[in-house]
Amino acid sequence: MSFTASSEQSVPLPHGRRGTELLMLAFALAVVLFAYSAAGLGLTGKLPGLPVDFLVFAAVMLAAHLAVRRFAPYADPLLLPLAVLLNGLGLVMIYRLVQSGRGGNPGYQVAGLPPTAATSQLLYSGVGVVAMVAVLVLISEPRVLQRYTYTLGALGLLLLALPAMLPASHSVVNGAKVWIIFGGFSVEPGEFARLALAVFFAGYLVAKRDALALAGSRVAGIDLPRARDLGPVLAAWAASLLILIFETDIGTSALFFGMFVVMLYIATQRTSWLLIGVTLFLGGSYLTALMFHHVMERFTVWLHPFMGSNPTGIAYQPVQALEGMAFGGLFGTGLGAGQPYHTPLVQSDFIFAAFGEELGLVGVMALLLVFGLLVQRGLRAALAAKDPFSKLLVGGLSFVLALQVFVIVGGVTGLIPLTGITTPFLSQGGSSLVASWILIGVLIRVSNTARKPAPQPIQDEGMTQVVRAA
Amino acid sequence: MNRALLRISLACLAMFVLLLLNVNYLQVFRATALAAEPGNIRVFDQQFTYQRGAIVAAGDRNAVTIAESRLIKGTDIYQRYYPQGKVYAPVTGYDTIYSQTGIEAAENGLLAGTSPQLAVHNLTALLTGKQKQGATVELTISPAAQQAAYDALASDGGRPAAAVAINPSTGAILALASYPTFNPNQLATFNGVQLNKVDGQLLNDPSQPLLNRAISQTYPPGSTFKIVTSSAAFSTGLIASTSTPVSAPPVWTLPNGHTLTNYDSELCGNGNPPIIQAFWMSCNTAFGKIGMKLTAPVLRQWATRFWLNKPLDIPLPVAQSVYPRGPGWTDPSLTAYSAIGQYNDAVTPLQEAMLAATIANHGTLMRPYLVQQVVGPGLSVISSTQKTVLSHVDTPKVAGQIQAMMYQVTHNPTGTAYGSAGPQVTGGITIDGKTGTSQNGANPNGLDDAVFTCFVPGSGGQPSPIAVGVVVKEGGFGASAAAPIAVKIIQAYLKAHP
Repeated sequence: MSFTASSEQSVPLPHGRRGTELLMLAFALAVVLFAYSAAGLGLTGKLPGLPVDFLVFAAVMLAAHLAVRRFAPYADPLLLPLAVLLNGLGLVMIYRLVQSGRGGNPGYQVAGLPPTAATSQLLYSGVGVVAMVAVLVLISEPRVLQRYTYTLGALGLLLLALPAMLPASHSVVNGAKVWIIFGGFSVEPGEFARLALAVFFAGYLVAKRDALALAGSRVAGIDLPRARDLGPVLAAWAASLLILIFETDIGTSALFFGMFVVMLYIATQRTSWLLIGVTLFLGGSYLTALMFHHVMERFTVWLHPFMGSNPTGIAYQPVQALEGMAFGGLFGTGLGAGQPYHTPLVQSDFIFAAFGEELGLVGVMALLLVFGLLVQRGLRAALAAKDPFSKLLVGGLSFVLALQVFVIVGGVTGLIPLTGITTPFLSQGGSSLVASWILIGVLIRVSNTARKPAPQPIQDEGMTQVVRAA
Repeated sequence: MNRALLRISLACLAMFVLLLLNVNYLQVFRATALAAEPGNIRVFDQQFTYQRGAIVAAGDRNAVTIAESRLIKGTDIYQRYYPQGKVYAPVTGYDTIYSQTGIEAAENGLLAGTSPQLAVHNLTALLTGKQKQGATVELTISPAAQQAAYDALASDGGRPAAAVAINPSTGAILALASYPTFNPNQLATFNGVQLNKVDGQLLNDPSQPLLNRAISQTYPPGSTFKIVTSSAAFSTGLIASTSTPVSAPPVWTLPNGHTLTNYDSELCGNGNPPIIQAFWMSCNTAFGKIGMKLTAPVLRQWATRFWLNKPLDIPLPVAQSVYPRGPGWTDPSLTAYSAIGQYNDAVTPLQEAMLAATIANHGTLMRPYLVQQVVGPGLSVISSTQKTVLSHVDTPKVAGQIQAMMYQVTHNPTGTAYGSAGPQVTGGITIDGKTGTSQNGANPNGLDDAVFTCFVPGSGGQPSPIAVGVVVKEGGFGASAAAPIAVKIIQAYLKAHP
């Protein structure tokens, strides 16, 4: 080798691409500002005044960028801008829905959406960003989380089970017993339980994966696990069924069980776990459909939304969503110019239908691609991560994000039976938004660790090497 | 673990691909079907937020708007308004928040602006920020003739009646009136309760105001059917000329034992008059005998040439006029009845006008039509109707023979319509016609339906300007009840078209 290093030249550090992040963040904020202006124009026919809300939002997100720059300088530069774009568009839609039927605007007021909802949602966005920064500050390395495997597992189960144990007055909103309500303040603990349980599953599976991967008998070319190893998967299945039965929440149950099965599969690489999981889930769904009227009703609504009195009865909500999206067509009515207020609860479970009506096929395809990109960046971080715990955690969380989008968007658009869960970042409500930001925090932390360059050996003139610790 | 992660990535990709395909299916391919779902609030609301196209009666020099959408003050909602109300109701129909009839239904896509023919206009409006607007439908209806028709029917003692006027050389419908009728403004309400109330009243009204008698109801043609019988007789060579004598006894015993008599069993000429005299005096026995000699299939063949037994839309759907083939329809005695329009032939008032229009146009029947042209929001013509031949019924020679006979009906002092449509009552206008007085089996008043079909012949190289068909239910003798209505329509039309 004829390479000679000069003592004056230090080896350049690979840069963390924070500039890219800032540029993409500016782009995301610009899109949100345009959407905000378009919504005002569509509602009142003139541009809204000084966008104070938007300036606050932009300031918070710039602060988030500075925090990432400080605490996770090597993180994937797309994660934050993608989250900001989704969060911002969700805010615009909630602002637009709040305006409906108020102050002389067309349409009528959306039930369950107080005039302060847009400001509250902005506040939750701030809380979410603070939570994300807290994750970055408190968890300097993903491995730190692994220490709290069982603590977080217990916490997750408690959060999940709490609404079921509380009386209905402190736990039921719109028929779903998934809330904790105290003194006008309500939290959906399931959103946080999912994160805690993801950590638990990752920690548990990393420890036990060798045993779980041991092959039992081989049937039809598939290695079945040993019967005694079925314990954990059966426990998770039972827990998800309990959620379904006691909290009347099919969506959360599906996400919880789906996350567990996929993490089990990633840990063991045994396809048999996937097959067992899917079989158990379908069997359980079928049984509960037979046992519970409200589950059966979901299937009826899905298969025959326009049959008989369904459009004005049990299928009114999904029918309004479908007709709204169809009315939006290719380009949509434009923000503020549609009639999303016809769909009950359009601000939460059905917010995607509001986007479909006002932004059209073009808009929702863009939204789906943004979600897809976010999932893809998460899976990339999982692939790039070096320790199995990080891989499992981020792989599972990315998958469950994709599954959540699939379940709610698929339900709203009539692809699968409808289950009431939130649309990440878009739906109104603080719990989901804060939990989504915590998820972004975890993804940023893991991607930072994965992309951080290995400690650089600094070549000295002499034979000794000085290792600069990162 | 990476192999499993890659597979999970593929699963995520599959989920997003499914979602993307499904939104494409929902918002593009399924959108039309969903828009057509009954009870689609958005589509329902939208129809009132832009201006539905107007309907204009453009048959005269001064066109008259007969249906338009007006902005309700203080709102951004348009309401349908019919300035002439009842006069044009059989033409316009109504446009309620739930359904339409008449031209409102037949041209709904263009009026509402949803027709694919307006796609370019709508796209231009979208891009230029202009409001979407429906197209204007211009009708062939002559406001003068239509008003005269309505006034004549309404002042005729309130009997159910209908009148249709056609331009024989084009087929353009100049007037289409029915009585009793309704006021479509009553149905153009946004109040669903009020609408149901009005609708219920109209449906339960024994005078059937919603029935469009001009095109939706058939009546026995009576002696006006002798035009068809004569056409067949001349065309087949059974009768050589208008002066050929025919047998016309006052009373004639049919093969089945029943008797066929002339009106009041009167003598028809010398009992063996030329066919022209049997025609102007409307002798039943003469045409009964001719019909029997022609046989039922030949009579029916000529009826079909006049467009009986055939479907028609103008574009409003028209009830089929019939010369039916029931059991035993070729029986000679029944054929004799059919030949004078008495057995079970049944025609619409529009068909009555088409009988005269065929003769007026030298034996060629033009396709009747109501819509002259459709004009887009930018005043560009979207579609216009060209005259087309519907049927070659008679040769000009045969048509000329029948015209000569119809001339005598109104010009010979013994003609059945001499007193009611003759030159001394029309103010110098020549009208050729044929009366009909059809016995109606179940008739509580004992009065027959009065029928009159006529035209103003062309003169000085000009084609015939107008043909009219009138039916007055229980009007009695055709000449006295129906002919004056036709005369009034013709006078009004010719005054507006000197």
